[in-house]
Amino acid sequence: MIDIIYRIGHFVLITVFSMALGLLFMGIARKIVARIQKRYGPPVYQPYLDVLKLFGKDAITHGFIFDFGAIMALGGVIATLFFIPLGSWQLYSMEGTVILVIYLLAIASLGMAMGTVGSGNPQASVGISRALMQMLGYELPYLVILFALIYRYQTSSVWGLMQAQAGSFLNWNLFAYPLMAAVAFVVLIGMMGKKPFDSMIAPSEIGSGPVVESGGKYLGMLLLQKSITIIIELALYVNLFLGGAENILIFTFKMLIVWVLATMFGSLFPRFRIEDGIKFFWKWPLGIAILQAIYIIT
Amino acid sequence: MLTNYIFIPIAAAFIAYILNKRNRKAGAVITALVSAYLLLSLTALYGRWDITQSFNLSLMGYKIDFLLAVNPLSWLFAVMTAAISILIALFSINSQENFKFSSVFNLNFLIIIGSMIGIVFARDFLTLFIFWELMTWTSFYLISAGKKKMAGRAAYRYIILSAGAAYAFLMAAIFIFQQTGSFAFDSAAEFLVANSPAQSIMLLLVISLPFIVKAGIFPLHIWVKDAHGNAPKEFSPFLSGMMLKIGIYGMIVVFYQLSFFKIIENTIAYRGLPLLSYLFALLGAVTIITGTILAIRQEDMKKLVAYSSISQMGYIIIGIAIATPLGFSGSMLHLMNHLIFKSTIFLALAAVIYRTGTTKMYEMGGLIFRMPLTFAAYLTAIIALAGIPPTNGFISKWVIYQALIEKGYLFLAIAAFFGSIASFMYVFKPLSTVFLGQLKPQHQNIKEVPLLMKIPMLILILVIVLFGVFPGIQMNIINQISGYLGIETVNYTLYSIQGANGAWNSLLIFNIFSAGFIIALLLFSFAKKSKLVGLLDTYSSGEYITDAESYHYAYQYYRPFDRLFDNLAAKSLTDFYETLTKNLVRSGEGLRRALAAGKLQNYALYSVLLFVILAAVGWII
Repeated sequence: MIDIIYRIGHFVLITVFSMALGLLFMGIARKIVARIQKRYGPPVYQPYLDVLKLFGKDAITHGFIFDFGAIMALGGVIATLFFIPLGSWQLYSMEGTVILVIYLLAIASLGMAMGTVGSGNPQASVGISRALMQMLGYELPYLVILFALIYRYQTSSVWGLMQAQAGSFLNWNLFAYPLMAAVAFVVLIGMMGKKPFDSMIAPSEIGSGPVVESGGKYLGMLLLQKSITIIIELALYVNLFLGGAENILIFTFKMLIVWVLATMFGSLFPRFRIEDGIKFFWKWPLGIAILQAIYIIT
Repeated sequence: MLTNYIFIPIAAAFIAYILNKRNRKAGAVITALVSAYLLLSLTALYGRWDITQSFNLSLMGYKIDFLLAVNPLSWLFAVMTAAISILIALFSINSQENFKFSSVFNLNFLIIIGSMIGIVFARDFLTLFIFWELMTWTSFYLISAGKKKMAGRAAYRYIILSAGAAYAFLMAAIFIFQQTGSFAFDSAAEFLVANSPAQSIMLLLVISLPFIVKAGIFPLHIWVKDAHGNAPKEFSPFLSGMMLKIGIYGMIVVFYQLSFFKIIENTIAYRGLPLLSYLFALLGAVTIITGTILAIRQEDMKKLVAYSSISQMGYIIIGIAIATPLGFSGSMLHLMNHLIFKSTIFLALAAVIYRTGTTKMYEMGGLIFRMPLTFAAYLTAIIALAGIPPTNGFISKWVIYQALIEKGYLFLAIAAFFGSIASFMYVFKPLSTVFLGQLKPQHQNIKEVPLLMKIPMLILILVIVLFGVFPGIQMNIINQISGYLGIETVNYTLYSIQGANGAWNSLLIFNIFSAGFIIALLLFSFAKKSKLVGLLDTYSSGEYITDAESYHYAYQYYRPFDRLFDNLAAKSLTDFYETLTKNLVRSGEGLRRALAAGKLQNYALYSVLLFVILAAVGWII
């Protein structure tokens, strides 16, 4: 009994921490982008206010699939979170193979896609179709990198890949395989839907695409889902390329650095057209990833 | 004993044909009952791998043996055939009314079931060939019974490819018979190992031709789209779920029981894999990529799923060709899982066609509110197809990835990753355009399908989740097959599988997934209740929405992606084959003009010449 309560406590703690941290990161990003564009920008705690406000508002729904999609999206990312080592917090990270994490994230994407398309708004469908096309663009180089890493260290668990870089910071994959780290960084920007690769949300063109029909608690849940997704993707990057961390504070610091860099890069470029985005991913990141993988397997 | 399994369905076929003339539902009921009987009696056969049966026939001085035997591999295929037939027959009971060739459908379906069990029990080339042809011809009639005009043409393409390959197979079998005096697999394997490798490899490649055609492997996949897309909607699940697999069965027989792998063991190798095996795996990789790209382009939902079948067969071929314990187990898992989820998808689509009468995706939309169970079946099946945990499809793909990463086959892995990520795209297209989005005015009054159609879909949903959580059930029989074929076995428990560089524990994943889902559900239900509004009551950037039809995004869903491959898709293989045929016909025409321009004297000359040559040859020998 005590064991179960302890475990549930762990679940809740990690979930709440990641939501809070993700929202904080989103606030920081808004500030950074504002400063780059020579604006003052909203306060850092603005996303918290947004979420609280959204959960208090009235909302409309378009049927059960709309509700189910929102729940599946948030539930999917929360489940994925438990498999990722966050510094010293490791709930099920021993069992979590890295391929599993990638595919678990897909549950959330599928839920979100299903819910928003279920609203019947064609702009949502256009956004989802773009998101899926872009996903094929960035997942391919990412999986090639994972292939190379798993082959190199002979383990596919995220925790094992993190442990393999222990010792000096020169063992970090960032320094051992800098090309791979660079590719993964570009992929990370694509995964998070930041600027050159944000055709699926394109606010002025398709009304923010997938979230066009969401309001009230639905938008609140999608914001929370977004915040946890950010944490998962950053945590994967830190674990795979920056050697993880001993405790949660250093881990958070490393994630913050990656996030700030990704935000800065993201606010510098104009938007890619969809097929140009896919072409870019298949030309440079995939090409470099394949070369690196060939180097590792031979 | 073993003949029962083959001839009871074939005998029942004629009874079903006669009774079906009286009552339109009788045929399907008989099919379901016979399949149920087959399934029950096959379970009784489990574990008795020593049963054999043989017949002798003396023909023109040759003694010909017909051998039948049961082993774990053939048992599995027979059980899969019987199990899926029950579900399909149940499903088709209600749809017989608006079916033009109802009696013929049931006649052929039962003969196919019997002949497929005959194929898997056969232990010699001649028995295999007889049942193979029986299956091919009956399925030819079934495909051409499809409603579309194209069905006949599709069936011709299918029969010509199949027949060509099958006669090549027969030639090779007769050649081996001449050398050994027997059609049996065992003596053939002995002969092939002792024979010169080059000749053995040639013979085995020819023998594997019909299987490659049936499995829809690139470059002989061209019949699959049209045949699967135009076949009667009740038969497509069987065609795609089971008959593609019988090709894989044949390839396993060629690779292991006719010792193809043993013969090429010492040839040139790439990363420890003989080059020919690697070529087969590469064919699988090309199959994955072509199938996927073409599936994304389709506007017809059955053709889309047919192409996805082609690409999924690529995974199975890769796993079998790389011949590691993990690869083989992954392939067998994927084979079973593909049968389950692909039949579910085709049954769900058949339910949609039953109610709407169209297969064009852009002519539908919003059916989720009218057919919720069909939607649930389709959703579960595509989650499995896309390989998302916690369903069975993820496990098999995960095992295949493990096998590829273990050996470092980078390019095969890239194809596998591509096929898997891109499958999100093509499975989401019918989900979004048929089930979600705006409901068309003409579909306002559609109802869910009748109970007998719901039951098979419900069973299949449960099976997908069951095998997703307890893959050990499947691993049990797979390890027996591996043991029988002499492959190392993979460690497993009821709900976990040990990979090369990590283990998979499906029960844990299932529980954690449920936990995450419950947290989200709690959050959702504690928040304020929301107000239900109609589908047309949406944000439209200030435009007036007049009708639902123009407010549904469905046609050319992935146009930007398709644009990348327009040039490639324009150069289709079908055109290549058609040009080849045309040139062949033209050159044949030329030959005819030159040699036999209708002069009677010429024909007389040829027959005399032929007689002289034959006499000379006979005299010399």
